[in-house]
Amino acid sequence: MRAVRLWIKKEGRAKYISHLDMNRCFTRAVRRAGLALWYTEGFNPHPYLNFLTPLSLGQESDGEPLDIRIEDDMTDAQILRRMNDVLPEGITVVRVHDAVTKPAQIAFARYSIGIELPTAAAAQAFCEKARALLLRGELTAEKTGKQGKRKVVKQVRICDKVQSAAFRTEGQCVLLDAVLQAGGEPLNPALLTDALQKAIGTDGLVRIRRREFLTADMQSFS
Amino acid sequence: MLDKTKERILNAVQKPGRYTGGELNSVVKDKNAVDLRYAFCFPDTYEIGMSHLGLKILYSLVNARADAWCERVFAPWTDMEEQMRKYGVPLYALESGDPIRDFDLIGFTLQYELSYSNMLNMLDLAGLPVRATDRTELLPIVAAGGPCVCNAEPVHAFVDLCMLGEGEEVTNELIDLLIEHKKKGSDKQTFLRAAAQIEGVYVPSLYDVSYNEDGTVQAVTPKDGAPKTVRKRIVSDLDTMFSPSDFVVPSIEVVHDRTTTEIFRGCIRGCRFCQAGFIYRPIREKSADVIDAQCRAVCESTGYDEISLCSLSSSDYTQMEPLIRKLISWTDDAKINIALPSLRADNFPKELMEKLAGVRRSSLTFAPEAGTQRLRDAINKNVTEEEVLQTASQAFAGGWTAVKLYFMLGLPTETDEDVQGIAALAQKVVDAYYANPDKPKGKSVTVSVSASTFVPKPFTPFQWEGQDDGETVLRKQALLRESIHTRKVSLSCHHADTSFLEAVFARGDRRLADVLESAWRKGCRFDGWDDQFRFDLWREAFDEAGVSMAFYANRRRSFDEVLPWDHLDYGVSKTYLQRENERAAESRTTPHCRIRCGGCGADKLNGGKCDARC
Ligand code: SF4
Repeated sequence: MRAVRLWIKKEGRAKYISHLDMNRCFTRAVRRAGLALWYTEGFNPHPYLNFLTPLSLGQESDGEPLDIRIEDDMTDAQILRRMNDVLPEGITVVRVHDAVTKPAQIAFARYSIGIELPTAAAAQAFCEKARALLLRGELTAEKTGKQGKRKVVKQVRICDKVQSAAFRTEGQCVLLDAVLQAGGEPLNPALLTDALQKAIGTDGLVRIRRREFLTADMQSFS
Repeated sequence: MLDKTKERILNAVQKPGRYTGGELNSVVKDKNAVDLRYAFCFPDTYEIGMSHLGLKILYSLVNARADAWCERVFAPWTDMEEQMRKYGVPLYALESGDPIRDFDLIGFTLQYELSYSNMLNMLDLAGLPVRATDRTELLPIVAAGGPCVCNAEPVHAFVDLCMLGEGEEVTNELIDLLIEHKKKGSDKQTFLRAAAQIEGVYVPSLYDVSYNEDGTVQAVTPKDGAPKTVRKRIVSDLDTMFSPSDFVVPSIEVVHDRTTTEIFRGCIRGCRFCQAGFIYRPIREKSADVIDAQCRAVCESTGYDEISLCSLSSSDYTQMEPLIRKLISWTDDAKINIALPSLRADNFPKELMEKLAGVRRSSLTFAPEAGTQRLRDAINKNVTEEEVLQTASQAFAGGWTAVKLYFMLGLPTETDEDVQGIAALAQKVVDAYYANPDKPKGKSVTVSVSASTFVPKPFTPFQWEGQDDGETVLRKQALLRESIHTRKVSLSCHHADTSFLEAVFARGDRRLADVLESAWRKGCRFDGWDDQFRFDLWREAFDEAGVSMAFYANRRRSFDEVLPWDHLDYGVSKTYLQRENERAAESRTTPHCRIRCGGCGADKLNGGKCDARC
C-alpha cells in the first residue's frame, strides 16, 4: 500500500461540482484509470480517498491536494497520465507524489479574486473603500453553523483571518490578491467578498481561484 | 458554455451542477459539421432525468451518427427559472450552452402525466410558442415520446408529432426525414404529412376529433393520407439492438447513479392495473452473453461500481442464473455490486443470492397491492399471503427488522373488507416476526405500509373503470388508519389530489389541452413534487374552462365507447383487454404468459413472435 498525493486543478464549469461530489467523481475516475485502490478493512470496506481541503462551490483552484492509497506500483507519471485520460472537463491532475507532509501544516491559502463592476471608476472607488475597510479591521460576516443538531449563527471577525490583501484594478475589474487563514477555522473568501460588497454597496460578479497553500512560515505546502 | 450572465445566475441557485454540463462522456461536436441538432428534453429535474435509461440509449444512438448532435435539457428548478427569466437567459442545452430554440428537433420524453406542465414551461423558457400552430416555421419540430404518448391527446396542441413505442429505430428514421426536408426547404405541413407515413409516428394535427352530446368521443378522422390507426414501434431483436457502450457520468449525485442494462422487454404477468405490463409487450429477451458484454463495456467507460439489471418483474428472466454467474466471475474482483430490483427468493441458489447487492439492503419490500386474496385475484396480482409471510420470516431470521409493504386503494371491485385486509396482512407480518425463534434479539420490528391511490390507465383491462372520488378515497384511507391497531405498523397514504389529476390526464381527450395551458399560465409546474403541486390552481383552471374533472377520472366507460386513444395501436387488442376486465369483475385470475398465452395480440407487432411462448 502506498499513500499518494494528487494535486487537482479545477476550473471552468467543473467549479460547480461540490466537495462531496468531487469525492464520488474521483472514486470513479480512479476505477476508470485502472488504479487498484486500497480498501479499508472491516464490515463495509471502502476505498481511501480524501480531499484535504474543502473548496466552496463556484470557486476554482490551481491545485487541491487529494490523498489516496493504492495497491499497485504504478509510477507517479503513469498515475498522472492515466488519471488525466479519464477526468471530466475542467478537472486535471497537475502533480503526483508520495503523501509525506501532514495536512495540519496548512495554515494559509492564497487566492486571486476578481470582482467585475459596471465601470472602471466604480472599480477604483471599490478598491479605495475596501482598503479602508480592511485597515479599520471591523469587517464581520454571519456564518450559519451547527452546534450539535441546532443551527446557530456565528459572527466571523473576517479581518482577523486576513493575512494580506492587495487590491488593484484592471478596467472595470477589481483584482484582489489575498492570503487567508486556511488552517483551524478557515475563512471562505466568498465571505470576504460578500462582506466587502455589502459594505460598499456593489453587486459585482465575483470569481475566486485558489492559487496555493502555505505553511505557518509562509512556505508553499506540498 | 459559461458566459458572464450564466455565471451570475449559477452563483445564485441551488445545485448549479444541474445546469452546467461538461460531465464525463458527454458529447461535444462541432455544430457547423452536423446537419441536425437534437435537444432531448426530460421535463423534470436533472437528478431524475439522468437516472433514466431511455435518455442514455437515445442520446448515444443519435450521437453515434456523424450528421446529428444530441444534447440534454432538463427542467430548471424554480430558483433557476426565476433567474433565467430575470436575466433573459433562454433555455439552453447542457453540452453547448446554446439556446434550444435554434435546434432542429426538440424531443420530450413524457414518463408521467404530472410532467406535462413542465413541458409547456420548458417550451416557454426556450422562447418558443407553446402551441404547435403558433410555430409556423419548419424548425424546430417538437416531438414527444415515452409511455404517456399512448394517450397523447391532452398534449396534442403543443407537440408536432409523437413517437409511439420504442425509439431506437423510429428516431433515426425521423431524423433522416427531417434532414431531407430541411435541405429541401420544405414547409412544416409537408414535412408532417411525410412523417405521418413513418410507422409509429403520430401527427395529432392530421386527425379530426368529433364529440357526442354527452361529451364522449364520436369519431377520430384522419386526413391528408395519415393512417387510420398508428401502430407503436418495437425493436424485434434485443441482442442486435443499439446499446450504448458508455453513459454520461453525472458529476453531481443523481437518483440512480449506476450502470443500467435491460435484460428483457415486456412482462408476462398481466397485473390488470399495470400499464407498463401491457404497453411494452411482446416479451423479448436479451441473451446473457450480450448483457454480460454490455455491462463490462459500460463499467469500464464509466467507472461505476454498481450494475443494475433492469426490466419489469426481473425474476421472470429465463437466463438469470447463468447471467449472474457470468457477471460475478468478474464483478466480484472489481468490487462491483449487482442490484436486482425484484428477485423471488424461492427458486434461486442461495450462494448466488448472497452475492447480490439487492439482498444486502436494510429493508425488505413487497408489493401485494391488495389486502385480500379475493382482490389480488381480481387484479391478477400473483402474490399469496403465504409467500409474503414466508419470505418475511426468512428475512427476519436473516437479521432484518424492517419491511415495506405497498398497496393500492380504490382498485376496481374493492370493498371495505379489502381495505381492512391491508391492516390485517400488515399485522400478520408483525406476528410472523415475533413468532420467529431466530429473530434478532431485543429488537422491535417496523412494518411500513404505503397506500397509493389506484389510477386507471389506457391500454389496461381497467381502462374503462372509474377512479374512486376524493371523498371515497379519504374515507378508505381513514378506514385503513382505524384498522391498524399497533404502533409497529406505520401508514403513509399518497396525496389523493395528485392521483386524481393523474387520472384526469391519463384518460383525457383533446379538450384538456386548453386547461393544461391555463393551469400552467397560472403557475403550475413540477406537479409531481408535493411541495410544488398547486391543486387549487388546477381546480381553478378546470372550473374556468367549464371542464369536469370527474368526467375523466371517476366515470365508468361502457365497452362500446370510443376511447380517445382508440386510433393508437399498442398491440394488445381491445377485445383481450375487455376479456380481462370481465374476468376481474368475477375475481378470476389469468395464468401468466409462460403457462398459457392469453392471446393479447402484441405478438403481431413482432411477426407473430413472443419470447414468453417459445
Ligand atoms: S402474445 Fe401471448 S404470451 Fe405474448 S405477451 Fe401476449 S398474451 Fe403473453
